Parts: sequence; C-alpha cells; structure tokens
Amino acid sequence: MVDTRTRDSVLQVRDEAARRGIRAFFTLHREKSHLLRLGNNSVSLNTSEDLTRLDVEVLDGRRQSTCTRLGDLSTPDPVRLALERAVAQAAVAMPREYEPIEPVVERDIAEQPQYDAELEALDPATKVKTYERIMAAVGRGYNYSGSWSSGATELLLAGTASPAVAWHLGTDQHLTCVLKHPEERWELAVEQTGWRAGQVGAAQAIERFRGLVPVYAQPGWQVPPGEYAVAFGPQAIAELLALAVWTGFTGRGYEEKLGWTAGRRLGERILSERLTLVDDPAQEQTFRFGFDGTGMVRRRFPLVEAGKLAGLAYDLATAARYGRSPTPHAGSWSLAMAPGDGPPEVAAAVRDRERVLCIPALHYMNVPQRAKGIFTGSSRFSAVLLEYGAPARPLFSTRITDTFAKVFGNIETLAPTTVSVNLSNTYGRRQPEAASVPAYMVCSGVCVTDCADSF
Amino acid sequence: MSTDAELDGAVARGIDSVMDAGAQYCDVRYYGEDASEALLLHDGNLEENAAELESGLGVRVLHGGAWGFAATSRTEDAPRTFELALANARSAAALVAVPLDMGRQAPVIGSYRSPVAQDPLDVPLGEKLDFLRQIDARLQAPFVQHRTVSLQLQRMTSRFWNSEGSRIDRQLTNCFAELAVMGLDRDQLMQRRSKDLHTSGRGTRGWEMVLDPALWSGRAEPVVEELGQLLQAPVVEHRRRSVILLPGQAFLQVHETIGHPLELDRILGYELSYAGGSFVTLESFGRLRYGSQKLTVSAFGGIANSPGSFGYDDEGTPERDYLLIDRGLLVNCLSSRAMVHEANQRAGRPLFSASGGASRATAFYRAPIDRMTNVNVLPGTDGALADIVGATADGLLLDNPTSWSIGSNREHFHFGCEIAWEIRDGRVVGVRRNPTYQGHTLEFYRSLSAVGNATTWTVQQVPNCGKGEPNQIMEVGHGVPVLRFDGVLTGERS
Repeated sequence: MVDTRTRDSVLQVRDEAARRGIRAFFTLHREKSHLLRLGNNSVSLNTSEDLTRLDVEVLDGRRQSTCTRLGDLSTPDPVRLALERAVAQAAVAMPREYEPIEPVVERDIAEQPQYDAELEALDPATKVKTYERIMAAVGRGYNYSGSWSSGATELLLAGTASPAVAWHLGTDQHLTCVLKHPEERWELAVEQTGWRAGQVGAAQAIERFRGLVPVYAQPGWQVPPGEYAVAFGPQAIAELLALAVWTGFTGRGYEEKLGWTAGRRLGERILSERLTLVDDPAQEQTFRFGFDGTGMVRRRFPLVEAGKLAGLAYDLATAARYGRSPTPHAGSWSLAMAPGDGPPEVAAAVRDRERVLCIPALHYMNVPQRAKGIFTGSSRFSAVLLEYGAPARPLFSTRITDTFAKVFGNIETLAPTTVSVNLSNTYGRRQPEAASVPAYMVCSGVCVTDCADSF
Repeated sequence: MSTDAELDGAVARGIDSVMDAGAQYCDVRYYGEDASEALLLHDGNLEENAAELESGLGVRVLHGGAWGFAATSRTEDAPRTFELALANARSAAALVAVPLDMGRQAPVIGSYRSPVAQDPLDVPLGEKLDFLRQIDARLQAPFVQHRTVSLQLQRMTSRFWNSEGSRIDRQLTNCFAELAVMGLDRDQLMQRRSKDLHTSGRGTRGWEMVLDPALWSGRAEPVVEELGQLLQAPVVEHRRRSVILLPGQAFLQVHETIGHPLELDRILGYELSYAGGSFVTLESFGRLRYGSQKLTVSAFGGIANSPGSFGYDDEGTPERDYLLIDRGLLVNCLSSRAMVHEANQRAGRPLFSASGGASRATAFYRAPIDRMTNVNVLPGTDGALADIVGATADGLLLDNPTSWSIGSNREHFHFGCEIAWEIRDGRVVGVRRNPTYQGHTLEFYRSLSAVGNATTWTVQQVPNCGKGEPNQIMEVGHGVPVLRFDGVLTGERS
C-alpha cells in the first residue's frame, strides 16, 4: 500500500539522521479502513479512510521525545520536519534518572502472514447484502444494528541503531450484528472476526439468532445478588483476560505495586491450574505480527502456565528503569488461552446443575481496585439462565463484581475448542488485535452484585 | 493545496460534483492543523514528551437517505475523496428503512476561536517542563511511592463548508492537566489521590489557565496530605446511606447517566452495536420524571471556558443553551439535524424544535455523531458544601473516579472513587478508602436531596469521552455543583 516515494522518504531521512549522529526511530503506519454501520435496519454510515502516519522517536542521551505526523508524507520534507521537531523537543527535555533503552529493529523482516487483497478491496455492497440476508432469514420484525469493519494495515519500522527494516502488511475484519426486540427491548448479538474475505458471513448470525429468539419469548429474570456458577462465552472470556493482563501482567504494574499480581513470584500459583495463557504471535486465531512496535522480534511468551505466573511484559522505559529486559509487547498482543477437556457444548458441561448463568459478553467493564484485581461489568447480549443445561429464561442486565483471581481461580470446565475474538479498537490508528479463547468457561462462585429490572 | 483560494475552489468543485450527481447534502471539513502536545513526568522522569500534528480532509455525503463518508490525509486526493464519499453513500442507500434527512438550515458564515490569552502551544517547551518539575517537587513525601504530573495541550484549526453555502472557520484550544500521588495502604495495596485542571467557566482557556493555582496546582499539597490520611484509613462499609458527590466525582456521574442516555442517536438506536442504547424513549420527553425537583440540567455550548464550547458544531449549527431536565422533568436531548428530523418523523409531531448543535467529530477522518457539549447541573439553593455536610446525618463525601461501569442502556451504574470522608450527624468523622457506590439511574436521581449553590459549581473538563464506530474521543465539559443523594448502596460485600 505504501507508495515507493513515501517509503523512500522515510528511509532517506533515517539515513540522514544516522549520518548526523542522531539516534532516531521511525514508524510509518498506513491504513486503508472501511466501516459499514447498520442502525434501525438501515446503513447508518458507510465510511472509508486512507491515512498515513509517521512517528519519530529521538533519544538524545537520557533525553527522549516523539513527534507524530499524520498527513502527506510522500516527500522527504515533512519527514525531516517531524525529525527536526523531535530533535528540538529532546534537546529541551530533562534527562531521565536512568539510561533509556533505544528501540532497535532486530533484523530485516518483510511479512504478510495474514493479507488478503480481496478483503482490502471488499465492496461495501457485499456487507449490505450480508446484513440483508440476516434480516430476511431471521425476520424483519426486529430492529437490527451492527458494524462491519475491514481494512489493511501496513507498518514500516526503521531506526538509526541498525540498518534493518521491518515491514508488515495485513488485513483484518470484524463483523457484529445486534438483534433487538422493538417492544421487549432485549438484545441478541453475534460477532465474527477474521483476516480473509469470506471468513465471516450471514450463516452464523442466522443460526445463532434462530436458536435464541424462542428463549427470549420467556419473561426476563432479575437475578438476586449472590454467588452463582457462570458459563462465560468467548467475548466475556477474552475481555476479562485482556483486562486481567492489562492490570496484572505488565512490568510497570508489577514493579510499582499497582497491579493485582504485585508481590507474587514467577512460578507461584495465582490462578486455576486449568488456565494456561500465552502471547503467541504464531496463533492463527489472533492477528499475527512478527515484530512489535519497538522492532523486537515476537516469540511465544507464556504469561500463565497451569495457573502459575510465568511472565510479565516490560516496555522499554520500565525495563530501563528497573533493570529488566524488555519484552516485545509494544502494540498488539496475541493472547491465546488454552482449551480444556470439557464437552463441546456448554449445555452438556452444565447439564447436572440446577442453575447456571450463561453470560456470553460483558458490557463496560472497569476495575474499581486494580491492586486487588476487582473488576465490575454487566451482562448484555444473549444472556440466559440455564437449568440443567437447557436455556430457560433470559437474564435482565446483571452486574458481576468480583476479582480476577477468584473468577480465573474457580474454573470448573473449559471448552475443548477455541474461538477468535476481536479486541481491536479504532480510537486512533488501525491496530488489529484478537484473542484465541475457549468457546466457553464455567466458573463457580461468581459474585452478582446487582441486577436491573430490564434488559 | 498551498492557498486558501485553491482549497476553497477544490472544495466548491467537489461539493458541486456530488450535488450534481444527486446528493441531498454534502459537508466538508479540512483540518489545516490539528496539533497536540503530551507531557508526562513519572516520579520526576519525563516519560512522555510527544507532539502530534494531523492534517487532512473529510467529506460527508447524504444520498438516497444514507450517509457516505471518506477521508484522506493527502489533500491532492480531494477529488477522489469526494467520489469515494458519494460512492459510499450510494452503496449505503441500497439498505435504507428510514431515509435520513438533514431538514433545512440557512447558510451559516462564521468563525469561532476559543478565548485564549497565551496559546499553550506557543509557550516554550522548557518553560512548560520547568512548571511541571516545580509541581512534581511539591508532591514528594515519605509515604508517596509514585508521582505523576501531566499536560495535554491541543490546538485545532479547521474550516467547514456545506452544500447549503455555509463556511465556518474555527480554532479550538484545550488545556488538560493532572497531578497524582500514590502510596501503599496498611494492606499493602496502592492508593491514589489526584487533581485534574478544572475551570470556573469564565475567563480564558490558554496557558494562563494552567498556571492559575486556584484551578489546579494549588491542590498539590492538599492532595499529598489526603493521600497520607487515605493510607491509614479504614475501608468503606457495605451499606446504604447518603452520598455527597464533590464536582470531581459528580461530573462523571452526570456524564455517564445523564449525558450519554440523552444523546438522541442512542435513544433512536443508532449506537446499539457498540456503546449501547438508552432507557429513555421518545415518549419520555415531557413525561419522564428523571430526578427530584432539585435536578435541573442544561446543555450549554456557550460556556466561555470549557472544552465543550466550540462555537459551531460539525454540521454548522451554532452552539445553543437549553434545558435537558427542568426541575426533574425530562424535556430535551443532545442532538444533531438528521436525528432531530428522524425523531420528529417517528413521533409524528415536532418533538424537538431544532438541532441541539451537538454533532461533533473528533478528527477530520471521522464522521460527526451526536455528542455532549457542556452538560451541566445548575446550582441549587442548599448552600455551600459545609451547609450540605452539616445537614447530613449519615453519609459519605466522595471525590474523583477510579472506576466507572454503566449498564448498556444506562439504567444502572457502579462507580469507584479515590477517597471518601465519612459524615455522621453533620460532621466529617474521618477518611475512608476503597469507596464504591452503585445504583439505578432513575431511583438515584429521584433521591437527589441537596444541590449546592454557585460557590460549589465548577466546570470539570473531560478530555476522553469515547463513543462511535469507528471510535471517537471527544472533549466535553460539565458544570456541576455539590450533589447529595440519599439511600445509596455503598462499598462492597466483604
């Protein structure tokens, strides 16, 4: 995607900086993004963005700065301006108390492990037809909404610390569809992710909606506060894991006693022995990046092995300050939670239990006490009460407030298969991220602290 | 494009081309300079020293009742960007149940600049760093384990055109700042106390605002002292009682449970697939008792000194001042032109007289959506903070959010705060740590029993309101006084 002129401009200015003795690191990010949004059974937005960004980081002794430019970068002049701005900022900065670690592109890499030109050029009409098919098959009496994001991301990393250049090109997509009953106001949802055209489509949504609509004909249940067995779905598992990792598995949080793993030792049992979690850039169900944002080559990185704390992620600044080795975690992670040995279907896993809350996704999670690992969030789409494994009644909006250690410590059953869950956001630049997680996870003693009287 | 005239010409040709092709409406936003700086001192080390500059063009086309949008960071690509936006609108129009309509609005020719005495991006970097370093030095104490001081400065220069003949130039300036200290409590858990830069709503909002000790840095020593108290404090008990929200907490309560549920696109169901819906329906307006008689809430884009003030929204509507909730009764919402038109069509009557001027986009590469402006609780008649505390038998005084989690229709919520002061029989009896509270939105606002007077009212700045797909961060403001609610569930079960 990046035209030769833009690439050459960056590399030319990199070489100029090296000749001048400037320690600089360049990250070129190009995205071609498309998103079609559905609301009230209509396309509410159909949008395309073609954006090129450049980050220039400069180290001047212990002084550091960055300058980011989003604009036309096809000639060397705007690249030079970004470099000069970063140089000027660094010159004024106060030196850090510790010696910074310079980002280095470890070796030449040119990769496109998950790139599909067909997806990059996907006709919006394909997306329109998919949503039309879902509505026609499930019934037009409901209110449908959703979004389908697709696009291509290209990264080019080069620094003055090495002549190597790292290049990545990939595609990704994320389809969501929400079905809402216009009067009863309950909501069902499906979510699919992938990197190839044709990986997502209408069939899964149609099957899922058809299966759940009859359950939602039953009255909703306002769950009384208390402890319950909960069968979490893949979205809920992935979101819980992402939040648990962010609050517990970064070197900064660990060293500064901010996170819930602070004070625990590597090798110490912190979660259920059923839980094994790695950052695995080779995992096909995640979006694969062979290098991170600082040029380090990514490798399989265990975080939890059979419940034992196995690894912590150190960014360059934290590693420098606390005398650790940095790990390749700047940018997207590839969280992969190992499956278990439960039956393929959640219904079979809980068929001997009188009541289990089935919560596929958690809405608006947050962490009231990071150091204790307390999280809170509420059920949303497609949540149902399972009685002896059979869907009995839909759940009203149910709040869970508990700790990561307890929920991931009380895993009873894990699905034998894994599912890809998209964890990307698009607040800034396109940054695809997905996790591979078991299709379900049954945990005991999960705290429900509140429940609305509506969905 | 090197000159204004070339840009105007290219945009005029682009608008003509899509209108000639049958579009109902088109608007264009060009950001010549969207500049920002971020500085962060962490334990005295300058860990963030970042500048960012964005420029580009965004084109929005309404065709066949559907929106198409396209953006580019290369202005030479402008003609193709118009073509792409039109093509996107055409393909979207293939699936339209309720055609969107912008209604009619007279052309607006105008300009707006945030009131600024000293442009924060023109202040030498060394001067800013010296200022941060001085504050950092005041945060040091034996029990303080970690300190952060940060600045986020923004200046956005843009031009807007639409097919109705509007042309608006804007320069928006924002200054955000935070200081924070952390320490280990008696259970060896990290506690935090912080202070964000707020405004009085008056005056200018440049670097001079950052320097004003009354708005920010004057709280450095009290924040350290309060952390020291927090580290030795008992944990908040799990039970019902009154809660008094200081503006540093009240703004987020208002933001999450009044602001977001009153965004008309959420009410109409356009945010269901991501941010969620709203318990408010079109039938609620003029009927729903949202809170007690003491609750009056306005949407006022025109507060002189607030990030929620911007002159004109991103479809050319001038900012407005109107009530959302009048003495407890829900009367209006946050809206944009197409959403107002659709709501009135659905209601079969003119439910809303005009756009609320709340259509906003975070960058040139995002399409505008319904956002907050300044959503304010108007001051009440229950006196100063001391009066409200003195009239409280059993309560917690709460400040600064650590956590917020809200139900998908904004019908229930859970908040964590940095600090609580326990109140018994009208007196503060001590600091409590790990405060949380939860409730159901309508029940909560109906329990509003005291609203502080104007001496308690400040404008809290929000630099990071998230919404929309593709995601957008927006800067908004909330003018809020001290608020007391009764019978609220606080703390967590042990």
